Amino acid sequence: MSTYQLGIDIGGTFTDAVFTDDGGRRWVFKVPTTPADPGVGFVDAVDAAREVAPLTTDNLVHLVHATTVATNAIIEGKTARVGLVVTEGFRDLLEIGRQIRPDLFDLLRQKPKPLVPRDLVIEVRERLGPTGEVLTPVDTRSVARAADLLREAKVSGVVVCLLHSYVEPRHERAVGSQLRELLPGLEVSLSSEVWPEFREYFRASTCIVNMAIQPVVRAYLESVQARLRERALSSDFYVMQSSGGGMTAEAAKNLPVQLIESGPAAGLIATSELARRMDWPRVVSLDIGGTTAKVGLVLDGRPTLSYEYEVGAMAAPGGGRSKASGYPIRTPVLDLVEIGAGGGSMAWIDSGGALRVGPASAGADPGPACYARGGTVPTVTDANLVLGRIDPQSFLGGAMKLDLDAAHLAIEQHCAAPLGLSVVEAAAGIIDVANASMARALRLITVQRGHDPRDFVLVAYGGAGPLHANALAADLGFSRVVIPPDPGVLSAAGLLLADVTHIESNTHLVPCDTVTHPDLVERLRTLADRVLRRLADQGKSAEQVALSYSLDMRFHGQSYELNIAVPNLDDPHAVAAARDAFISAHEQAYGHAARDEEIELVNWKVSGVAPGFRHAQAATIDGQMVDGPVAPVRSREVSDRHGTAVISTFDRLSLTPSVVVWGPAVISEMGATSFVHDGYHASQDSRGGNLYIEKD
Amino acid sequence: MDSEIDPIRLEVVKNALLAITDEMSAALQRSAYSTNIKTRGDFSCAMFDTDLRVVGQSFSQPTHLGSLVHSAPRLVAEYGAGNMRHGDGVLMNDAHRGAVHLNDISLVSPVDVGGRRIGYVANVAHHVDVGGSTPGSLGLNREIFQEGLILPPVQLVAGGVIDDDIIRLIAANIRSPRESLGDFRAQVAANQLASRRLVALAEEMGTDELGRYMSALLNYTQRRVAREIAELPAGEYHAVDFLDDDGFGDTPVKIDVLVRIGDGGIEFDLTGCDAQGTGPMNATASMAYSGVAYVLKALLDTDIPVNDGFYRMCKVRSTAGSVVNASHPAAVAGGWEVCFRVAETAFAALADAFPDRIPAATKGIICNVSFGGVDPRTGDYYAFYETIAGGYGAHSHMDGMDGVQSHIHNTENAPVEEIELNYPVRIAQFSLIPDSGGGGEFRGGLGVRRDYWFVDHDATFSVVSDRTKFAPAGVAGGQPGRPAHFVVDPDGVGRELRSKATIRVPAGGIVSVQTPGGGGYGDPARRDGEAALADLRTGKVSTADTVGPDTDGRIS
Repeated sequence: MSTYQLGIDIGGTFTDAVFTDDGGRRWVFKVPTTPADPGVGFVDAVDAAREVAPLTTDNLVHLVHATTVATNAIIEGKTARVGLVVTEGFRDLLEIGRQIRPDLFDLLRQKPKPLVPRDLVIEVRERLGPTGEVLTPVDTRSVARAADLLREAKVSGVVVCLLHSYVEPRHERAVGSQLRELLPGLEVSLSSEVWPEFREYFRASTCIVNMAIQPVVRAYLESVQARLRERALSSDFYVMQSSGGGMTAEAAKNLPVQLIESGPAAGLIATSELARRMDWPRVVSLDIGGTTAKVGLVLDGRPTLSYEYEVGAMAAPGGGRSKASGYPIRTPVLDLVEIGAGGGSMAWIDSGGALRVGPASAGADPGPACYARGGTVPTVTDANLVLGRIDPQSFLGGAMKLDLDAAHLAIEQHCAAPLGLSVVEAAAGIIDVANASMARALRLITVQRGHDPRDFVLVAYGGAGPLHANALAADLGFSRVVIPPDPGVLSAAGLLLADVTHIESNTHLVPCDTVTHPDLVERLRTLADRVLRRLADQGKSAEQVALSYSLDMRFHGQSYELNIAVPNLDDPHAVAAARDAFISAHEQAYGHAARDEEIELVNWKVSGVAPGFRHAQAATIDGQMVDGPVAPVRSREVSDRHGTAVISTFDRLSLTPSVVVWGPAVISEMGATSFVHDGYHASQDSRGGNLYIEKD
Repeated sequence: MDSEIDPIRLEVVKNALLAITDEMSAALQRSAYSTNIKTRGDFSCAMFDTDLRVVGQSFSQPTHLGSLVHSAPRLVAEYGAGNMRHGDGVLMNDAHRGAVHLNDISLVSPVDVGGRRIGYVANVAHHVDVGGSTPGSLGLNREIFQEGLILPPVQLVAGGVIDDDIIRLIAANIRSPRESLGDFRAQVAANQLASRRLVALAEEMGTDELGRYMSALLNYTQRRVAREIAELPAGEYHAVDFLDDDGFGDTPVKIDVLVRIGDGGIEFDLTGCDAQGTGPMNATASMAYSGVAYVLKALLDTDIPVNDGFYRMCKVRSTAGSVVNASHPAAVAGGWEVCFRVAETAFAALADAFPDRIPAATKGIICNVSFGGVDPRTGDYYAFYETIAGGYGAHSHMDGMDGVQSHIHNTENAPVEEIELNYPVRIAQFSLIPDSGGGGEFRGGLGVRRDYWFVDHDATFSVVSDRTKFAPAGVAGGQPGRPAHFVVDPDGVGRELRSKATIRVPAGGIVSVQTPGGGGYGDPARRDGEAALADLRTGKVSTADTVGPDTDGRIS
């Protein structure tokens, strides 16, 4: 009996699916996304797979899903009515938040409305000090009063976040158990259990986001499960977490905050797997879609994590997100730098006469002018088309013909004429300006963190990543560009590569020099037990789980920590090793470190990884190659700033390892186009079916 | 466009310069030690061309609009461009040499390529304590000499190496040497990083070409600013407001702002402001400039770059020796409070011309709170400084934000859990003040109460602030917000402090800082019923007929 695996990634326009069998065959599907009920797109993808193979509970052995339901719940305001219980004197923890406005100069810009309105925030009398000492014991009458108010307010759940609970959870537990007793059936969530790190606003916000999106996420996952059961398929499946690991749908119903950046995480996971298999120690991922470019860092086969994400944050004018424009979460999110420049980004002339690109996007509808769906504003895609970097005949595998004249006209009217340039010069300018924004994102993640791009491989994917990668790599000095197979659906492929993971963290602020090896082992093992319990709930035994340990460290007095791995917990010198590693990391990141300053351990972290479906991996990344003669599909004469050249279009599937494609050339495939510049050449590798672009 | 300037390359160079200042900021913020820099973002980074014109700037506080721009050229002029070499760094904080208050210490480094100067990189950061009479160096003094260590241009870094003698001299004069020395290291590293990036850019583009595009970027910015100013409604706009007092006397201090918009562009005339006073409520010209530059920037398209092309379009007129252009040896620790009021008053003047954009008066104060003493846990001296949010003014179509920083600053609050871990103080309460927003068709935002409890030691506590006597005004019939209150033992005898005070708090004492609410907009009788009910339900307003404090805002 053949067995199958299916990865389904729901994007803004298309729902992508990658379907593989144990014989290494692979199918790719794209079905329309159905925003009103994304579950419809999901089952359409499942049904597309069922047309290829008769799927049953027994032969569909692995189903992994990336969803935007969690994020959309926040953006669209479909959040639950949640109560919050806080320490007396701190009712306005959320109202005040970080006390800053998201934009310095916009007098009309508001900070986001709290997810819990003030009338549902209730104080209880109790107070701990910073080492967990009791200043005021829990006043049970105040808890009873809180319970009355919550009952009357008809909340769907309540979060308890008391000061200093990360170090001493006893008060939260006492309040929680009294509330559970008085309000049977009500969901009660304790901040010391969800994410026991210090900084009260961020801890509370993490728990509140989690509880506020829970009903929507739960309903969605249950509707998907019901549809799977209707098709006589198992309702056990995995969803992608923001951290890049999978978790079971059942576990996700209780920790939906982990699903916030589900989709983008998967592409970075595929890149990481590629980096490990190809032995590339330093990789930057470049994912360019319709409205944004996202770049990530993969060091030694591992993506980096960030703990500073804001859900629903607005794009900042200069790239990235505006601080304090969303709802912070402290759970791990794969670290991606985002910039508002993608294929659909619109070009315009500002009041000082400069050519600008984005952040506004034509999106999928009406889309770029060349889609001929009513769009008249020029976009990056139109500029690429005019410059011959997209072949109008082979877009989306030839399924969609592009209107070159419309692209020409849009650029002429909106850019070339006002700037006094030719259409070709203006088109080249649009690409240069878009590339300058993307280059800024690439610099942020490399040089800004002390990494030299010349030591890195650039892995490009998404619909437009392979179009811009060559120019960006040349600008920043990346050693090599890699376009993996099926770059347009790499995120869906990445889903099938995900391990099952869980991460726990706890703040325990202590001078590094006072920590003994037994202290280190004891505290990290306690966290590890929590990780193992969470993974056991998802069917992973302790033997299957690989644990890794790390510490967030800083110089005493600093406020930002660096995450330092503890590679060998049994090493009696592990604390000293972490200390040395921190000093090197600080030097690398900031260019200085004071060797004799006191160092603090802040957050203690344990990550557990259980293999998902390792044997399936060869099939999911490797491309298919067809032997046969290789000739361009067609050639056409195209002008750019430097003159006129003949650009040939090749079909990616026709390339064999012995073939070298000399630039300028277009290499087309389903869902993406690669462009090879003059002075560069492309070749397909024999191992993984990757396309490399290198300097002649 | 200038001749021979490629508009596309210009955009690319603009991005490259922004990337350098962004990178500089990130490095400084993340590796700094004091809360002010790392959490509150009270610093800025800038890049200058060879003529000391700022070409790129990165900051998260509008107060920094005017600081480096003025201090760096003065520093280089005084120290001598020829006396500075690549790899050097020169410090300065002297308010009366073009800088701001003493806590803001700037570091300027020249950048050379092949022996030729291509520009300067600089940063300025607020150090938690620079010595002087009170912990935090923001206390009630009469002269700048009492406010802390004064640094004229002094070479800290020579050829990339920090001068230990200078460091030891500074360390011996300040209360938080460990934090400050860490901050200095971060400041030095930030300049070194930016210097490397600028050299790389010059080598890639060619030095002359980079200089040409820097100039073009300034002209491009000026062109955009000029075009937008030309669209502002021409006229003369005038408003007057008063500071409580200078900290020693009882006489209100007049802030008079006349804005002229016309063929000559825009000019802020501050010549009607009172003479400088005895206490710390004096702004240097740089500080007052930040206030008006903020106002102009807020009236323009938000994505106009901040560089010399913008600054040259922002003109200020003031009298030397006045409260907005203080002369030596005036104390200036409270100068940002003056700067804040200049901005508020300019907005009040312009309110009728921009009815849908400019809000009613906001909290209107930085609210400098600093304290220190000997930490009983360690026996070491500690110093702490922060500023506190308040109410935002209501707009013609929406309520003012509650508990937020406004106008010239946007500093974060340090988390209570982090403060209590690091300092021997407990925050007993941090909450909105019900009924503090000015009533109106649209309500002013609520002020904030933050109570400091010194559980186990004697502390010296200073507040340098304002708005206890004159409340933030409403607009178009809206009510004023509740003024500020600074109260010792708030739940006991409740002794009210003046808005500038340095006091000794005995162990066990509590000081309550209560910031103003924002002014309301429009007749309170026109307030939407749903909105009024929501205020009652959420407890932001306690009774249906509460419309704010006494209507003229004056507390007897």
